[in-house]
Amino acid sequence: VSRARDRVAIVGVGTTPYRRDAGRSELSLIAEACRNAVRDAGLTAKDVDGLSGSWVRAELVQSALGIPECTWYANTVPPPFHLQVIEAMNAVVAGACETALVYHAAYRISGSAAARDPFRAARRATLEAVLGPPSPWPDSISPVLCYATWANRYLHDHGGRREHLGYIAVNSRSHAVANDHAVLRDPITMDDYLAAPMIAEPLGLLDMDYAIDGADAIVITTAERAQAGPHLPVLVHAAALGQTEHAIEENLPDLEHGGQRVVHDHLWARSELTLRDVDLFYPYDGFTIIALKWLESVGYCGPGEAGPFLEDNWSAERSRIEIGGRVLVNTHGGSLAEGATQGAGHVREAVLRLRGPDASCALVAGGGFFFNPGALLLRT
Amino acid sequence: MSDLEVFERYPGRPIDRDTIAFFRGLLERRLLVNRCGDCGRLHQPPGPVCPACWSDDVSPTEVSGRGTVHSFSRPVVVVDLDEGVRATATIVNCDEPRIGMPVRLTWIERDGAPVPAFEPAR
Repeated sequence: VSRARDRVAIVGVGTTPYRRDAGRSELSLIAEACRNAVRDAGLTAKDVDGLSGSWVRAELVQSALGIPECTWYANTVPPPFHLQVIEAMNAVVAGACETALVYHAAYRISGSAAARDPFRAARRATLEAVLGPPSPWPDSISPVLCYATWANRYLHDHGGRREHLGYIAVNSRSHAVANDHAVLRDPITMDDYLAAPMIAEPLGLLDMDYAIDGADAIVITTAERAQAGPHLPVLVHAAALGQTEHAIEENLPDLEHGGQRVVHDHLWARSELTLRDVDLFYPYDGFTIIALKWLESVGYCGPGEAGPFLEDNWSAERSRIEIGGRVLVNTHGGSLAEGATQGAGHVREAVLRLRGPDASCALVAGGGFFFNPGALLLRT
Repeated sequence: MSDLEVFERYPGRPIDRDTIAFFRGLLERRLLVNRCGDCGRLHQPPGPVCPACWSDDVSPTEVSGRGTVHSFSRPVVVVDLDEGVRATATIVNCDEPRIGMPVRLTWIERDGAPVPAFEPAR
């Protein structure tokens, strides 16, 4: 039995507006999201004794927010948000801290427009110096071309069609219409999807998430302490990260032997719940192919079956995925339509939905194919 | 050829003690991967120990550069080399790369330095 099962709860969520250009620093965005999350939890800075963040260093966030004392803090990069969440969960379960503030800012540093902005160019240089390329080869599919490369292979192996990816894109927009936090709120049809400019075959403009400036934060504490908060606590029932020895993009043997398989095996082994208990599904959709593959990897269908599965579980009337006529997918619009926050929006949306009466279990599947998959099974 | 010259010919590349032999090989138009002296396995990218048996006895070994396309995102192809390791490079002399296409190694110049590429095998 996993020692973490149902031991911690997400008791606060906070965000900022998502903008193409917020004209603000990452620290400013993080401060706003953190302030909102701590207040949402009914707490103050004095209650926070742990910090789990991505790029922006914990000591800067602690100083900016005047959090008096922390007994645990960590920065884990790159960011898929589930990683920062699981770090905090582990710290609270271990007793290293009692109430952890988890944060991540999305900040546009890619592309030619960002390169002309001195603030963004300076930040990009800093981050590239930290990360470096994963492969020394002069040409690599990392980090930009890897999903097009593997999508090609997926469609080739399984006789898949671009429409299969299109279901993911159309579903996201259909949900974003109702989310005033989302940046892309015009609904699209399958024809719109297929007509969008091709970027890196087989992935077009509408297969790729929409880069924004914005931040999200959540507050994690013990299940006991969570009972005193203003909201229904959302428990982390099970969590898993997954990585294999072939984590470099070009070295994955095939899509069935990557980190998503590791996540599947260990998430369900640690859980008392099953996929049938899941009311809401939040697969990461930085590229449509990732969300399509997550449908298979969490167990909804077998390898290569996600496309036909979506055909069978598509509501033409509502233009959205309804698994078994019941389970909705990326109800906020995902990274494709709400905005690219490396999975942070998925976690926030899952928590907000679980506070309501219509759902009691949500599965968040984050990260991609290579070195960063992970999942959170959340319940009330 | 001095280490400094390798750095100067491939500015900005991730050259370190484990990878510099790979880049020196590029300058000689030889494609090198690491071979384990104990278990004989090949691996790339170059690392300090053999991932299979943890031996320190790893040394750069030239590969043929023949293989088949595993997948691609034009103009870059990921190739399953005949020796059993992957290689990634630009494809040239080819408008329509295909998965499974046989390819062979060739060389192109980029910023005055040799860079490996693939082309369809005849």
